[in-house]
Amino acid sequence: MDLQPLYDSVLIGDAKTTRSIVEQALAEGVGPQQLLDDYMIPAMDEVGRRFEANEYFVPELLISARAMKGALEILRPLLADSGSQTIGRVIVGTVRGDLHDIGKNLVAAMLEGGGFEVVDLGVDVPPEKFIESIGETNADIIAMSALLTTTMPGMKTTIEALESAGIRNNVKVIIGGAPVTQRYADEIGADGFSDNASAAVRLCRDLVNA
Amino acid sequence: MNARERFNATMHYLPRDRSPIMDFGFWSETLVTWERYGLPPGTDTDAFFGMDPQWIVAPINSHLYPAFEHVVLEDRGETEIVRDGDGVTKEQGKFLGSIPRHMDHVLKDRESWEKEFRWRLDGRQPERYPHDWASIQQRFQDPQRDYPIGINAGSLYGWLRNWMGLEAISMLVYDDPALFEEMVEVVTDCIIDSMSPALESGIQFDYALMWEDMCYRAGPLLSPAVFKRVLVPNFKRITDTLARFGVDVVITDCDGEITQLLPLWLESGVNCMFPLEVGAWGADPVEFRKKYGRDLLMMGGVGKRVLAGPKEQIRAEVERLAPLVEDGGYIPTPDHRVPPDVPLDNYIYYLDTAKEIWGKGLPNLLPTAPQGLELPKADPDRYSWHLGD
Repeated sequence: MDLQPLYDSVLIGDAKTTRSIVEQALAEGVGPQQLLDDYMIPAMDEVGRRFEANEYFVPELLISARAMKGALEILRPLLADSGSQTIGRVIVGTVRGDLHDIGKNLVAAMLEGGGFEVVDLGVDVPPEKFIESIGETNADIIAMSALLTTTMPGMKTTIEALESAGIRNNVKVIIGGAPVTQRYADEIGADGFSDNASAAVRLCRDLVNA
Repeated sequence: MNARERFNATMHYLPRDRSPIMDFGFWSETLVTWERYGLPPGTDTDAFFGMDPQWIVAPINSHLYPAFEHVVLEDRGETEIVRDGDGVTKEQGKFLGSIPRHMDHVLKDRESWEKEFRWRLDGRQPERYPHDWASIQQRFQDPQRDYPIGINAGSLYGWLRNWMGLEAISMLVYDDPALFEEMVEVVTDCIIDSMSPALESGIQFDYALMWEDMCYRAGPLLSPAVFKRVLVPNFKRITDTLARFGVDVVITDCDGEITQLLPLWLESGVNCMFPLEVGAWGADPVEFRKKYGRDLLMMGGVGKRVLAGPKEQIRAEVERLAPLVEDGGYIPTPDHRVPPDVPLDNYIYYLDTAKEIWGKGLPNLLPTAPQGLELPKADPDRYSWHLGD
């Protein structure tokens, strides 16, 4: 079966076709991991590349992520049954005092499309909730978002709380959001910073492979 | 030279005595914080800080009419769940200025558009003008009027994004492009119809004011291709209407990293970008002038981060922008509402410096704050991360 149309349908955000090809491929005996690794994740990587090259914008990113998500609903149970592992587990959340979720949601969508398992804690997340979630999920990475200069200190507070809890070395921490910079990430001891959703996927891959 | 003459001379690169001194306003928490440091409670900040007359816009409603009823659905302590006048269910801080989190929207698809929104966008409804419009019109038409006035020219994307949410409007562009285009056209009609009686009344507006907030740190929320195909023709309908009545300064509140949309805005007749957020992406009005020349008018461009830092850096920034201010076509203001991490003392210092350099210390400047106000000094360590990026 020619599966290039699967790659193409994710790339152009055609959710219906993506789902249809996945169902047909599975029926013909193609393995779920192969569909994911050889076609869908590479397509989302290309979406990310185009996004960073200003060839794609938020709408294009969102419809591709939606196509990916629809197909993952079919593939996930099969992947779980076959004992497949995701490439990593990421906790995402907007820090305490900040209700902004657009950037966080874009990052979560791209991470899922990039093959990560995402645990989304939502907005206004206090440090103790991040810590609690690490215990529950055994996550590899925490990805924190903040929109405001006044709420971004919540990132520092969370890192300090991880240190106090003695689990800072168990998890990588990345940050992002409108006012956040690499310099701020360095100052507060984060492991990484990303200024867009696509680069966040690359950063997380680098961190789990390090 | 009065404030109106000064504004118009600035926006048309004509000789003037000094730059207008204007601002963008403050977060509500900023004023609460500053009250602890000497700002009189409930103060009129324009008067307290000695601003030139600013942001006086005719009170014409070109938005949804009637608006949806504002309902508080749930009290969550520091936040509350409301359904607002746009039909948006959202969680918002009761005491904090964080942007609210959208949870649900009445506008979802063609059915909800037809049933709940389209009829609220009839711009010819007389209720769009306040009951005392006649007296306002009289004041605005006074040939001795010495302050600039604006007319609200709406929003083609920002309103739709608020009504539907970013994700839904983004997907609508692909899922139902005809509906997206229709919505933009209906909103445009509503804006033009609601503005027209005021424009035809003989009031000479000094500028039009639009609001889009459609860029973020990585660029526009919509592709330039869709912007050009759908928005530019409709922006042009609005700016052509304004031009027929002599309004040639069209300001848009754009926010974010605007470089990819800027040429298209200029093509559509929207010629003044505001507030030129410096942001983490390092936008610079001096560079914009070099690139776009005098076709581009600008307001804003003074980084909030600088205002939160040491005074010598504030002064350096005011001095750096001085040649551009002198060139005209640019009114400097903070690049967004001033957040509470800017000390009041710093803000007063910024304004005093701005009045000294951009305002040339002329006697027609209003004083920044009452004499004798004692203010605590900023803690430079607290704000160190603001600097240098």
